[in-house]
Amino acid sequence: MEKEGLGQKDNKDININFFKPVGEFMTRDVTMSKIILAVWIVAVYGFLLLLVMAADPNDTVQVTLSTGEVITQVTGKSFLTEMRFLGFPFHYFYMTWFCIALFIAQCWWYCKFSDNLEAELGKAEKKPGQPK
Amino acid sequence: MKRMMQWGLSLFFMLTASNVFAAVENLNPEGNFKVIPGLLMIGLLVLFVVVGVFAKAKNTEDYWAAGRGIGQMGGGAAIASNWMSAASYLGMAGLIYLQGFFAISYVLGWTGGYVLLLVLMAGPIRRYGKYTAPDFVGDRYYSQAARLLSALIVILISFVYAVGQYKGIGMMFNWIFGIDYKTSVVVGTLVVLAYVLISGMLGATKNMQVQYVVIVTTFLLPLFFIAHKLGYFSAVPQIGYGAALYDIGHGGNGLTAEVAEPSFYLPFIKDTAYHWFALCITLMLGTAGLPHVIGRFYVVPRVSDARWQVVWGLFFIALVYWTAPAYAAYAKFSNLLGTSGVNIAPDAIVVNAAELAGLPEWFAGFLAAGAVSAAFSTVGGLLMSGTSAFAHDIYFRVLRPNATEETKMKVARIGTVVLGLSIIAVALNPPALIAQIVAVAFALGANTFFPLFLLGIWWSRTTKEAAIVGMIVGLAVTFGSMLIPKTSLLAYYVPFTSSSVVGVPLVLIVMIVVSLMTPEPSREIKELLYKVHNDE
Repeated sequence: MEKEGLGQKDNKDININFFKPVGEFMTRDVTMSKIILAVWIVAVYGFLLLLVMAADPNDTVQVTLSTGEVITQVTGKSFLTEMRFLGFPFHYFYMTWFCIALFIAQCWWYCKFSDNLEAELGKAEKKPGQPK
Repeated sequence: MKRMMQWGLSLFFMLTASNVFAAVENLNPEGNFKVIPGLLMIGLLVLFVVVGVFAKAKNTEDYWAAGRGIGQMGGGAAIASNWMSAASYLGMAGLIYLQGFFAISYVLGWTGGYVLLLVLMAGPIRRYGKYTAPDFVGDRYYSQAARLLSALIVILISFVYAVGQYKGIGMMFNWIFGIDYKTSVVVGTLVVLAYVLISGMLGATKNMQVQYVVIVTTFLLPLFFIAHKLGYFSAVPQIGYGAALYDIGHGGNGLTAEVAEPSFYLPFIKDTAYHWFALCITLMLGTAGLPHVIGRFYVVPRVSDARWQVVWGLFFIALVYWTAPAYAAYAKFSNLLGTSGVNIAPDAIVVNAAELAGLPEWFAGFLAAGAVSAAFSTVGGLLMSGTSAFAHDIYFRVLRPNATEETKMKVARIGTVVLGLSIIAVALNPPALIAQIVAVAFALGANTFFPLFLLGIWWSRTTKEAAIVGMIVGLAVTFGSMLIPKTSLLAYYVPFTSSSVVGVPLVLIVMIVVSLMTPEPSREIKELLYKVHNDE
């Protein structure tokens, strides 16, 4: 019997891999992490890509690169930069105000999720001093 | 190991000496002693030392991890003030003033990194239960060599990071007291050292909370008056500057269209989208890999608190980060209007903004005093993490495991003094703008600790050999990017402030390949990680 118990323990997959989560806690935690990180990437760098793609191709500027080479590139002027929101050029408001607020909201969301997950799976810690 | 450290240090001195743009603008050429700003500053310094004395560390347990007894909001305030340095307070606005939208990547990089830190690192690191970053590395990678190497990197990061802070302190002391920059650096440093030595981290944590209040008050208050003076929506000047941005680009509010500078708000005039991306991602990854930030997770008693203090910390940081671009915009606007008689330096643009708007001197003094607080709180945290790497991780864990508490404390104090004084040598001739120097520290953190923690936590197959090779490659990329000629094509794609855009993927690949080629870690390590991830 004892041997079987040990064998069972050995067979349990305990290899940790972000892309192959094991155990219920880790599986659900990783699923949430992926969603949050995907939103995070798209919100910042997706918008940057959008700025590049939406740029007016006729509005260009010469930029001297660190290599000394001079290239002509779009300034990025587009409806995103000319539209005004609360007085701001929209892209400026989006990046400096909205994204930071989004980061805080995402952190808040993840903390709520983690607290709930710990409570649900009976892993919430006791207050210090209380027996665990 | 000693030789490696010497080698690293001499390399760094070489780099600094090789740079030509070292001259720091004299902000106070007449040598005026500004009375009210001076009194403000001295008052704050006395306050910090007094707080430090009252919250003095009693034993080493307190000294390293502050007794693990700090609440969520308090922890958040400590994270925020530890985080916000002269780079956030002075440097960021300075770069936005110079480079416009390009420098917004600093604002996003230094906030967005917290999402990464929270989601991937905070919980597991707290559950793993170690005191310092090298402690984690030494334990997870079952190797004294990895522990030593990572401790040396911690010291190196603290060193580079602190150079930027000393520059900020020096410039502000120069502006307030009228003494020259070099004397200012030395005087400022001695004061920082005094209070780090008097208090330990418990003192430092209390101090950080006091400093946060000082930072946020001094940073937010003058902006109302600046916005009002320039005729923008001053009830929420952080919104009001939006219109100023538009006017800078198109003319308006007294600014003619001829002097308008569209390059200030248009995205890709000063640099390319690739460089925006490279810098932003480097700072984000660096945030999740800085040992003195990760160290804050050990000082709270519960995992849940470790997470919530990130939310609070980020919110407290955001209050300042929503404000910094406003200083840049108002300064730019006043500058285009043609105000004269102000000695402008990009790294002092926050203080200059108040001067340019024509506010009385003590307003600017408020900002100068706040800037010094910001630099102080961060230098305090950096010296702590640098010396704990030396005294705890190198001396106690490797060299003298039998050392008594008293010897450890003594070594820590000596380490603080040596580290603090050696930074002065570089800060006297600062190699770049504050935010750029600090960005290099972030690149270093991202190229070394980020992959180490990421793979260490999330892939149990990572081996000690991979950890060591990974750290060496990370160091090589960071310092290599500083050594290659600035005009080369390689330097174009891997700027020294943004080397992690290439460094992190490279180190991750190297670590994965080396791991697969070397024997698996023991079952104990895997079981421990399984427990960490399933909260058992």
